[in-house]
Amino acid sequence: MRLRNASVVVLVTLGAWGMLLAQKPFREYEAREYRLGEIPLPPDYNQKTEWTRARLKYPATGTLHGWYDVFGDPVDGGPLNWTIDYPRSDRHLLAGIRRLTRIDTRSVEQVVELDGTDDIYNWPMLYAVEPGHWALTDAMADQLRDYLLRGGFLMVDDFHGTIEWNVFRRNMQKVFPERQIVDIDNKDPIFHVIYDLSDRFQVPGWQWSISHKTYEYDGFDPHWRAVYDDHGRVMVAICHNMDLGDAWEWSDDPRYPEKWAGLAYRIAVNYVMYDLTH
Amino acid sequence: MFEFLFKYPSQVFSRGTFVLLSSWPMWLFGVGLVIVGAGLAWLVWRPGSPRAAGTDSPRMGGVRSVAVWLMQTAMAALLLFLLWHPALSVATLKPQQNIVAVVVDDSESMSIADEGSSTRRDAAVNVLNSSLIKELQGNFQVRLYRMSDHLERIEKLDQVTAQGQATHIGESLKQVVDDAASLPIGAVVLLSDGADNSGGIDLDTISEIRRQRIPVHTIGFGKEKLSHDLEITDAEVPPRALPDSRLSAMVHLHQHGYAGQKVKINVKEDGKILNSQEITLKADGVEQVEQVLFSAGPAGVKTVQIYVDPLASEENTRNNLVTELVSVDDRKPRILYFEGEPRWEFKFLRRAVEDDKTIRLTTDLRTTQDKMYRQLLSDQDANVDLVDGFPTKVQELFQYEGLILGSVDQAYLKPEQQMLIHQFVDRRGGGLLLLGGKDSLADGGYQNSGLNDLLPVVLPERKSKTYVIDAADVELSKEGRESLITRLDEDPEKNAEHWKKLPYLMNFQDPGTPKPGATVLAYSIPRGGGGGKLPLLIIQPFGLGRTAVFATAGSWRWQMLQPVSNMDHEMFYRQLLRWLVNDTPKRVTGSTPKSVISDISNIKLRAEVRDTTYLPAGDATVTAHILGPDGISEMVDMRPEPLELGVYSADYSAPKEGSYAVEISAKRGTEDLGSDTISFRREDGVAEHFHVEQNRELLEKLSSETGGRYYRPDEAGKLAKDITYSEAGITVRETRDLWDMPVIFLLIAGLRAAEWTLRRSWGVI
Repeated sequence: MRLRNASVVVLVTLGAWGMLLAQKPFREYEAREYRLGEIPLPPDYNQKTEWTRARLKYPATGTLHGWYDVFGDPVDGGPLNWTIDYPRSDRHLLAGIRRLTRIDTRSVEQVVELDGTDDIYNWPMLYAVEPGHWALTDAMADQLRDYLLRGGFLMVDDFHGTIEWNVFRRNMQKVFPERQIVDIDNKDPIFHVIYDLSDRFQVPGWQWSISHKTYEYDGFDPHWRAVYDDHGRVMVAICHNMDLGDAWEWSDDPRYPEKWAGLAYRIAVNYVMYDLTH
Repeated sequence: MFEFLFKYPSQVFSRGTFVLLSSWPMWLFGVGLVIVGAGLAWLVWRPGSPRAAGTDSPRMGGVRSVAVWLMQTAMAALLLFLLWHPALSVATLKPQQNIVAVVVDDSESMSIADEGSSTRRDAAVNVLNSSLIKELQGNFQVRLYRMSDHLERIEKLDQVTAQGQATHIGESLKQVVDDAASLPIGAVVLLSDGADNSGGIDLDTISEIRRQRIPVHTIGFGKEKLSHDLEITDAEVPPRALPDSRLSAMVHLHQHGYAGQKVKINVKEDGKILNSQEITLKADGVEQVEQVLFSAGPAGVKTVQIYVDPLASEENTRNNLVTELVSVDDRKPRILYFEGEPRWEFKFLRRAVEDDKTIRLTTDLRTTQDKMYRQLLSDQDANVDLVDGFPTKVQELFQYEGLILGSVDQAYLKPEQQMLIHQFVDRRGGGLLLLGGKDSLADGGYQNSGLNDLLPVVLPERKSKTYVIDAADVELSKEGRESLITRLDEDPEKNAEHWKKLPYLMNFQDPGTPKPGATVLAYSIPRGGGGGKLPLLIIQPFGLGRTAVFATAGSWRWQMLQPVSNMDHEMFYRQLLRWLVNDTPKRVTGSTPKSVISDISNIKLRAEVRDTTYLPAGDATVTAHILGPDGISEMVDMRPEPLELGVYSADYSAPKEGSYAVEISAKRGTEDLGSDTISFRREDGVAEHFHVEQNRELLEKLSSETGGRYYRPDEAGKLAKDITYSEAGITVRETRDLWDMPVIFLLIAGLRAAEWTLRRSWGVI
């Protein structure tokens, strides 16, 4: 009996260890803007490919701009800022990457978490939306630093103005206390790897159709910033005061101007290709 | 005993010719033998005898009577034969008219005191002084020589000091043979331990001695096995390396008296120990080969010492160390990585070798349907390199030393580009690495391409996809455990365990079956494959170059799934790419047979010269500029080797001990074909400490090949008598009777005694 109990313990331990090491399968989440299943899964969603972009699921501050966060939601354990534009934006972008490049990409994204398991390391390209709301724990910051130093890449987008910048910056300082956030020089290959993007402009979100303003809060000017590694490679690509996520999400809607959607795709393609080549 | 039975020494029989001195014809012997045989038969079976009378006595039955008849006939035949007067005709040296050359080994190994309490040299001198010289002088003129790395005539044995720094038996004997052209040298007596260190006695020397019919008699000194000694007999170290490469020294050693003991093999350069490895010594006399790894370090010529510290009671400690030269080239090989699709493996391979200061990686990536993204070494190359995609000209591709093909459909490469790749490996000597991928290997149609025969595998002909995006573990093969390409841990067993613990591969590909001559270093084990395994990393030499297949594009997990400080992924790719280009030759490649020559001065310089398209250049002017110790500076013209197009050589005699640098440059008319710098080192006073046991085999072989005989020191007394029989020098032919040899009488008596004994036992007497 003792032997049997011991065997069970060993098997359970091995199973748990295997789970920690193995890649997690694709899963859809309830999103703030789209109900589960509202966006139909592409028929080839299960196809195994070389690449896909991961979306970071993170805990949010809950309160910001002086009131309780509008996206605060008890579903799935907390505010759903990480799900903004998800999954429509992701699917559109992946279809664009598949069409515009030779990247063998999946048609669906992969949601990953800084949960202390090894799963996130299986997805070296990471996207986080609304990082002006994120609230990384110390453990999460440590894992994100580890992820980036091993060779992972993080692109953040859709956060605006001074307040959200400060939230982002404080969290980023937990990740890299000693590294500076700097503006990306126009000559950096990230703006030229596929498309020459020397001339860039602010890409507003869907809110433009209501407000007719290209900015939100006091985020009047777009900023293309980055955190570099010791080899001069971009580790964290920061798109501040713009909403590329909305541009991908609404790129099939004629009410959303093509020039912004086009730039958003070109930026994404360049960033992805930069990551795969640097 | 031999001489007692046969009256003469064995030399007489081996050197003499059998003759019959009687003038009677041999047919008469036949007739006589028949008559005698018939007579004896009549006596045995005559009428009236018990057998013929029909009594058929069981005491003298059929078989018994035949035996008696045979013994009687044999004895009669022998007596009859003696009437024909058998004898030996043998050439003997004419007394006082011939010279015997006595050659005494004067090398340092003769100073070893293993002949009782005295040295080998003293033992040799004692043998000569006790009686041998006197006995020889009774019949011959004796010329004394001492031998080390050259032969020198001496007047007295005091001049033998055992201080010579090498033993060149062959060259010394050649000089004696040369003397024989003008002097009546009848025989050579060589007193030596046979510890030759010039590589043995060549066939030409043996043939010349045989042609002159000079017997070389040898007297061997020294123990044939030391009781307590460890000797490093050789160390194989690559003569050339890239900076900071990991190198492997294959150390050959054997020992007596220390079986089972643990010792450390150390590798030292410039006073600094580069690595130490503990080994367990095998059984006495067993040749042992151990691999020791060390880092080549920065560019420059490295004098590497490989040694084992002296062991307790070791009789000869100076054979525990060997020196080798490693030329760490200050070159940075260029590798082109051509990739058909953006993917993680591309990114992480680039990153893996980014900090390798030696490897210069240029990449060309097909990002979109019609766009390529070049990552060049410098902005200056932007207008030159890969402007039109994959190279189409020899000059474009041959500037690289290695080529990596990623997920590139073979149809994307034109037939002429495929042919160029073939020439790149076969003729240029470049390295080709194919990575797995959805458009690679069988899935890329390579089995039907011009590159198929380059590959180390026979690609599968299946219609289903061979590239699978699914987890696979990795396992090293037996060869992979020890290979420098896959060495993540110095200990082979730990290395194998290390690989088993690597994160699984994100994908794998079935590369087919390894071709004969290819080596599988690692296998992939698909997690869903029921334990079956596929070749993962396969390598093979091809033409002047080498090819490899790494059948995955998922090794990037080794980087992402391991801590930042872990260097497994970097080490693997750096080692793989260094292997890919390490032996890719330049247009002019110099070499020497050995990087260190011990106690000899002659060395052969060799250069392979090729033109700008890497075809052998047979019409080049090749010179070697040699710089040596004490300001030696010499220019040597190198001559074309008659049977090897594009190969040039020169014999050089290094006049002094020390290090030499040789710059070999080649020109064709005014066109500069290139140059190469090689190094070698001459060391003196080393060779005599190796192979110090008596080489009896060599001495015996020398004697038997030349008609002489090997003697132990206690047998040397017989030599003076044996030496008379020689066909060299001034000789006279003598005939020696054989009829009165004791053995004949013993034989006759034996036959009679046997017959008598048989008859007694049968009761017929």
